[in-house]
Amino acid sequence: MLRNLKSRLGRTLFFLPFMALATLNHGFSHEPTNSKKISGPQRREVRIPIRDFRLIDQNGRSFDFKTVRDKVVVLAFAYTTCPDVCPLSTAAMREIQIALDRIERSSVYFITVTTDPEVDSPKVLALYAKRYGVDLSDWTFVTGEEAVLRGIWQNFGVRVVKKARGLVDHTSLTAVIDRTGTMRFAYYGTAPDPKVVIEDVRSLLARRSNS
Amino acid sequence: MLGLKFMSLMRSLLVVAISFAVTGCGRNQRMDRLYAERCLGCHGSFGRGDGAVATSLPARLPDFRETVQRKSTGQIRRIISEGRGIMPGFDPALRPAEITDMVEMVRFLSREGRDVSWWEKYDTLVVAHCSVPWDLFLGYDDAPEEKRVEKP
Repeated sequence: MLRNLKSRLGRTLFFLPFMALATLNHGFSHEPTNSKKISGPQRREVRIPIRDFRLIDQNGRSFDFKTVRDKVVVLAFAYTTCPDVCPLSTAAMREIQIALDRIERSSVYFITVTTDPEVDSPKVLALYAKRYGVDLSDWTFVTGEEAVLRGIWQNFGVRVVKKARGLVDHTSLTAVIDRTGTMRFAYYGTAPDPKVVIEDVRSLLARRSNS
Repeated sequence: MLGLKFMSLMRSLLVVAISFAVTGCGRNQRMDRLYAERCLGCHGSFGRGDGAVATSLPARLPDFRETVQRKSTGQIRRIISEGRGIMPGFDPALRPAEITDMVEMVRFLSREGRDVSWWEKYDTLVVAHCSVPWDLFLGYDDAPEEKRVEKP
C-alpha cells in the first residue's frame, strides 16, 4: 500500500514540471500594447545651412553631397527595418518623385539618409529601394560610418537613439534643401503630404536665385 | 522489470506530447515584445491590420485570420525576413530564432476568434522549435543593451 502510494507520488512529481509548463504557456497570452503615438505632419520654414558630406550609396560607391548642390534636394531620414513612420515617408517621397514632370526632375534630387548604419549596408538599402520601386536615376540611399552620419544628423537637428538591433528612435524629418545648400522646409512627424512638398519644391525651382 | 520501466517511460512521453498538443508551444512574452516593437503599429493588437499607422498606409493590410491560415510556415517566414511592398524585411536585423518567434506570433493571432482546423492545433508541434532550449545555444535571451548613439 505504502509502496503504491510512493510510486504514485513519484509519478505526480515527475509530471509536475510539465503541467507547470503547460499552464505557463497559457499564462502569457496577454495582448501586446503600444503606447507610442505618432504625431501628425508639421511643416516649418527654416534656414539652416547644410554642410557637404560624403557617404556610401546603395551600390557601395561614394556619394558626395556637393554633386547635387545645383539642385533642389528632398532629403529624408529613415532606416530599412523601421516599423512605423519611415515606410510612410519613403512612400511619400516616391509619390513626389512620380508626380514631378521630366523637366522638374532634372533639377530635383532625392536622398534617403539612414539612421541605422549597423543594419543598413549598401546591399540592404538597394533591396529596400527595389521594394519601393524607386527610380534610382535621381534618388540615392546613403549609409556610412556612424561618426560621419552623426555629424549629418546633428546638422539637420535629427535625434537618433538606438533601442535594439534594427530598432531606432529618431526624429522623423523630411527636408527640402534649396540650390545654395540651405534647408528651407522641414516636415516633422508622420510622412509629409506629397502635394505640400511638391508645392514647396516648385516654389524653390521657380526662384532663379535663392536668397 | 525492464518492460515496466519501458511502459513508464512511454507513459511519460505520452503525457508530455498531450500537454504540448493541448497548449502548443505557447505564446510568450518574448513574442509579445517583438510583436509590439516591430509589427503592432501597422498590424494592430490582434493582427487585423488596424494599427495606428495602418490608416496612413497606401495599401490595405491583411487580417491574419483570413490570410495566415492559407500560408505555410515557410511562406510567412519569407515575408517577415524579406519584407513585402512597404513592409520591412527583418532578416538583416533579427536572429533566426527571433524571426521564428514572429512567425509563431502571427500564427497565434491568426487563430484568435475563429474555428481552428484540427491540424493547426498540431502546427506548433510540427515546428516544435520551442521545446528546444535555443537560447542556450544562441544566447538569445541576452537582453539587448540600450545603446545611446547620440545625445540630442
